[in-house]
Amino acid sequence: MSENKEITDLSYLRSLTGGANDKMSKYIRMFLTGAPISLQQMELYALSKDWSGVKGTAHALKPQLGYFGAKGTEELLKNIERMAGDLVDLEQIPASLEIFKAQLEIITVELEAQLKALGN
Amino acid sequence: MAGKALIYIVDDEPLQRELLADHLGNMPAYEIHSFGTGEECLAALKVRIPTIVFLDYNLDSQVKDAMDGTEILQEIKSIAPAVEVVMISGQDRIEVAVNSMKHGAFDYIVKGEGAFVRAEKTVFNIYRFHKLTGTASRYRTLMLLFGIGMLLMILLVIYLETNGLISNIPGWS
Repeated sequence: MSENKEITDLSYLRSLTGGANDKMSKYIRMFLTGAPISLQQMELYALSKDWSGVKGTAHALKPQLGYFGAKGTEELLKNIERMAGDLVDLEQIPASLEIFKAQLEIITVELEAQLKALGN
Repeated sequence: MAGKALIYIVDDEPLQRELLADHLGNMPAYEIHSFGTGEECLAALKVRIPTIVFLDYNLDSQVKDAMDGTEILQEIKSIAPAVEVVMISGQDRIEVAVNSMKHGAFDYIVKGEGAFVRAEKTVFNIYRFHKLTGTASRYRTLMLLFGIGMLLMILLVIYLETNGLISNIPGWS
């Protein structure tokens, strides 16, 4: 986390794209489109107690958070994936998803600000 | 696009797929095609055979009953055994990697920050591997031809010696 307590850090993405604003904007937009759908899927899977669905979706979304520097949120998803995969502490999954939802809201605000800063 | 080697990328996550495709697309000698499911990749494979396939291990986040990476890997190897398959996954469990290699994967890459550079290096490694195996194969053919030539020479000498013709060859006593 950076000094201003932001969840995200785009330094990895910047280095991967060689600072190409158009590519960074494209990836941010893709994440902002895909992540809320993944969250919604996980909530539905959790409601229907489809733990393999929760595990699969958390697993797929997890590395993407890392690319945007949201390491803490990536860890949270890793934990959700572990609980759903190993079928342990299942009662904690809804609460963990709530925390994830709150963090995703902050991430979204931060990334939208980044999009503006990138001139998109 | 003639002359370019073909790379297929199979990943059910659009962002992950795009990041890898863009990164590998920086290599001018390669043409990149990407697919959201293994089934789409198998259909494309029947039309055009790639040199390399980067294949995600878990492919069911969008389509729940989609074939998984291991099943697709086995299908690819049965259709086109020469295609090099590189498994990519968020799983860092050793048994998953071992299982992939057992089914003929060239390499196994764990998703994360180092994955894109690693993927690029793997492309170079496959290129070098093919070049080396090609050279070794040419040497084997040359050695085989040399051996056959030597054998024919020996048989000819034996034939000439047996029929008393060898003394007719100038310079042979």
